[in-house]
Amino acid sequence: MGLVVEHINKSFAEFLVIKDLSMEVKEGAIFGFLGANGAGKTTTMRMILDILRPDSGRIAWNGKDVRQVPRRNWGYLPEERGLYPKMKVEELLIFLARLNGLTKVAAEKALDEWLERFQIAANRKRRVEELSKGNQQKVQFLATILHDPAILVMDEPFSGLDPVNANVLKEAFLEMHRRGKTIIFSTHQLEQVEELCQDIVIIHKGQTIVQGSVQEVKRQHGRNVVRLKLDNDPEARWLDTLEGVQVTKRRQDYIEMRIQAHLNPNLIVEAALQHDGIISRFELVEPSLTDIFIEQVGMIDLLDAPSVLSA
Amino acid sequence: MSKKPKDLPEQEQRAIAVSLGGAATQHTWRNIGLIVGREYKNRVTQRSFIISTIIILLLVVIGAFVPTIIQYFTSTSNVQTKIVVVDNAGPIAGLDGDALARYIGTALNGTAGTNAPGQNTSGKPPFAITIQTSNALGSLQNQVKNGNLNILLVLDRPTNQDVYFTYYTNANATGDTNLSKVQALAQQLNFLDIAHRLGLTPAQTSRLFAQPGFTVVNTGQGQNKRSESEMVAGYIIAIAGNILIYIVIVLYGMGVAMGVAEEKGSRIMEILVNAATPFQLMVGKIVGIGAAGLAQMTCIVAVGIGALLLQIPLQAALFGANGGGFTLNITGASITLLLLLLVYFLLGFLLYATLYAAMGALVKRQDEVQNAVAPLTSLLVIGYVVSFFGVYTPDATWMKVISYIPFWTPTTMLVRIGANGVAWWEIPFTIALMIVAIFVCAWISARIYRYGVLMYGQRPSLGKLAKLVRMK
Repeated sequence: MGLVVEHINKSFAEFLVIKDLSMEVKEGAIFGFLGANGAGKTTTMRMILDILRPDSGRIAWNGKDVRQVPRRNWGYLPEERGLYPKMKVEELLIFLARLNGLTKVAAEKALDEWLERFQIAANRKRRVEELSKGNQQKVQFLATILHDPAILVMDEPFSGLDPVNANVLKEAFLEMHRRGKTIIFSTHQLEQVEELCQDIVIIHKGQTIVQGSVQEVKRQHGRNVVRLKLDNDPEARWLDTLEGVQVTKRRQDYIEMRIQAHLNPNLIVEAALQHDGIISRFELVEPSLTDIFIEQVGMIDLLDAPSVLSA
Repeated sequence: MSKKPKDLPEQEQRAIAVSLGGAATQHTWRNIGLIVGREYKNRVTQRSFIISTIIILLLVVIGAFVPTIIQYFTSTSNVQTKIVVVDNAGPIAGLDGDALARYIGTALNGTAGTNAPGQNTSGKPPFAITIQTSNALGSLQNQVKNGNLNILLVLDRPTNQDVYFTYYTNANATGDTNLSKVQALAQQLNFLDIAHRLGLTPAQTSRLFAQPGFTVVNTGQGQNKRSESEMVAGYIIAIAGNILIYIVIVLYGMGVAMGVAEEKGSRIMEILVNAATPFQLMVGKIVGIGAAGLAQMTCIVAVGIGALLLQIPLQAALFGANGGGFTLNITGASITLLLLLLVYFLLGFLLYATLYAAMGALVKRQDEVQNAVAPLTSLLVIGYVVSFFGVYTPDATWMKVISYIPFWTPTTMLVRIGANGVAWWEIPFTIALMIVAIFVCAWISARIYRYGVLMYGQRPSLGKLAKLVRMK
């Protein structure tokens, strides 16, 4: 069943921020929640967590309204990071874990395990403000997962992390995934989405514009992109005259072009041979999520005026 | 299975704008307990809290010792006012020469003391009296002029009339505290002298000085059989309690507002609201900081009373039996007043703290807190200032009305009770009113709070706030 969001609407003052948004997250999946800045990701996440309530619509976890789901099932990593700077790491994490429903003993046990895994056990007696930024991020992440929640909602978990710490976090993600947790996260680093997520949704101005598994989404928005390299003719100017072919990049290592959906890519090979080209590279490429994202969000941006409800 | 929101009436669906906490309400007491524990521990382990407590404690202890120290220094100092008495009037009230000097010494110093050396081991008496003859008058007048002699008192008797006193000094007339003492002495001597010349015996004269029997019977309402000293103790407790209430509410109310703003500023609020409801967070913060404040105040008051009690044996050791000074006289009436002080203090703090918390939730950054809470502080100041008028008119109608308004009840009721100007039912009545007010304010504040804690935009207008409060 997982998490089901059905037709939710939310407005602040007279601005309609979320418009009839629906999505479904399978239990145990890693789910990418994408959208440009101000698209309504944080608001939606807060509604999923029952911090804000939608004006209409329904959000349910395994068939149960989120308002009835015990708090310890949720782990939330907000976009704006915040901890009590004066508290000791250990005290802070145990306080938050207990507030999320753990007993003191269970909180201490979980803390021992995770501090070790994150290699910050040496810092447990230090004040949060004395830690490096990377270590503070780790503590913040621990605050989200220490109470062993079933659903993790993470707003931009990778922002501001160096590659080493990003990797530690990625490992933790996969560990949580192995333990059967459902992970919903938003990010602007779409390579991570391609690497980690099974399903995604892209929202724009409070509305769902793209939804499905990463494979499906790519197929739906698949144009045929071809990369070609000719050893004796790096420019291959004749490509510009071909009907249904549009060259997008002329790089040193290859030429990238889009061909129309009905066109057989073999035509390119034939044309290259006709021009006595020596082919050293020919590949059909899937469009990246970045391309799809820019295309979808950028396109709508041109058409849409700000949505205002008549008060 | 929960009821689908689609089944709810449309109006109700629209109205739920900000979560009241949903599932988090299941652990209200547990969560509040955890938050109270964190707030309390966080506050009492803060370096600034510990340092300020130590400084206040030192000041309190020093304050308690200052009167004793001053008394010690004045009693051991060698500053003496030298008085030369030139008696041209012959025996006054039958006193002559040494007898007169002894009498004047007793009257001015309080104990039998002339200028006899080595008479007083714990210091010299403030006045040294010498009787001299009239032929040295000119040189004595010069001595006063030069400052070698402080006071020259010349007694004359114009041909069998009343004694005439002439007082020579070079001290500034406005600052001369000795003048009034000598004047009082002159009056007394003159009185005795006339009585003596009229032929009254010393016993008859002392009867003239005796106080008449005089009893005050007050038939006014609300007056009970409290002694004068109890009334004074009442005033002191009421006024001191008032100052305490004012300081503590401003100090810790501000602490609550700052704490909320800090959580907002550091964005930990976002994690907290996921685990606990805004109401739990607010109550936890108020109780936690309030408990830390109460602990600090208890510590200060206990040390203060202890230091004052220490003065009794200390003064006895330094000045002997005639040390006098401070005595703590707590009677039953004072204890009742102290208990009421505690009750009004707690209620007042809770009432204001809920509002301070709401104000703290509405600001973006900590440095805006000062401005945001200014209206609340003004509200408190009004009650504080008005209460001082209550000392004189504890049962005026306007005073009663003001003391029934919960925001001003703690300060004004205390003074009215201290001044003995309340009917018995007014105490439970105002307490009940305050409790109702606390619930109403907590309800309103919780609504503002849950809206404000995640709001980082413009501070809302008053009209917007009213709308928020009405929102379900």
